[in-house]
Amino acid sequence: MTEQNATQHDTAPLSEEENEKKPIATQESQGFLPIETNAFDRCFISVVIWVAMSLFWFRFIEPMGLSIWISNVIALAIAIHIVRKG
Amino acid sequence: MQSNKLGWILLAPTLVILFFFGVLPFLYVVFVSFHQWNPFAASPEMIFNGAENFRRIVFDDAFLNSLGVTVAFVVFAVLSELIIGYLLAQAFMKEFPGKSIFRTIHTLPLIMAPIIVGSVWKLMTTPSIGIIPHYLDEWFGITMNIGTSAPAAFMTIVIMDIWHWTPLVTLTLIAALVSLPRDPFEQAQIDGANKVQTFWHITLPMIIPAVVATVFIRLMDALRTVDEVWMLTGGGPGSSTRFLGVHIFKEVFPKTNYGYGSTISVIVLYLTIVVCWLLYVSMLAPRKNRKG
Repeated sequence: MTEQNATQHDTAPLSEEENEKKPIATQESQGFLPIETNAFDRCFISVVIWVAMSLFWFRFIEPMGLSIWISNVIALAIAIHIVRKG
Repeated sequence: MQSNKLGWILLAPTLVILFFFGVLPFLYVVFVSFHQWNPFAASPEMIFNGAENFRRIVFDDAFLNSLGVTVAFVVFAVLSELIIGYLLAQAFMKEFPGKSIFRTIHTLPLIMAPIIVGSVWKLMTTPSIGIIPHYLDEWFGITMNIGTSAPAAFMTIVIMDIWHWTPLVTLTLIAALVSLPRDPFEQAQIDGANKVQTFWHITLPMIIPAVVATVFIRLMDALRTVDEVWMLTGGGPGSSTRFLGVHIFKEVFPKTNYGYGSTISVIVLYLTIVVCWLLYVSMLAPRKNRKG
């Protein structure tokens, strides 16, 4: 039980004041993503989505004549949305 | 400020080594993956071809087949290692005669180099001289030939990997089990919980971080396995055991196709990171404390 309490204490959400005192890159976001993330996490998620979208586009969409640049623009929009609101 | 500066100074050697041996080679592989490059050809220059290698990879049947075989291997091997490793760890938590000798013997495969493991298993599974086909034939009437039977070759590699790496899983899980507090188990016993309930509601939640760390290690290792497989089957028969590592090896060395080989490496790295990250998110990542 002691360990469980310790774990809960380690991962307990920060108060808004505590969070704002931290550097911007490590500030926890209260956005739409279901997990606690900092700026680096959200950039990572954006890159993962960008690569997955590009590979999917190459395989299924590009043969229909749509350029990969469309995928890149969509991925960039998603990335901005995730980094700002995620 | 002073302690911050001291911290950076103490970290500097590690960061420099990490940069030169980790970050720089990674960036170089990413750079090469956007090129067509055969350094042993008449014109050994790198030719930039944009995302052409990535466009090619999603239609490459050999790569997709390797990916499928690797995923099947990882699922079978890592799951089996986790289950057998946990059962052995639980067994080692109890006292029994010859425990220390058994534990030493059980750990021996870990100290063997994968290439040696591959060659030993090749000797054991060669139809004319191997002990395994001999006794399978004598006791059960089963003819085993990993040179001609794809399922036999695949299962042999899975069993070899389980034999080689289960001790690692056992050791990490023993470490996790030993560190568990006794109180919750005693309370559960008083409350009348049976073994399954105790495992599901107490043991498992408390050892999850160790389990996830072990799965990470085994997953990353299994996704890039080459030497054992190369030694045992060479990727055959046909391409039935041509795992991603073997595929990259064949693409880069015999074909000297460095650009495309780097592309496959980048994709394998991407898949490894994504799978591990998804595992982390689903098992360990702290959830947001939503208000309302």
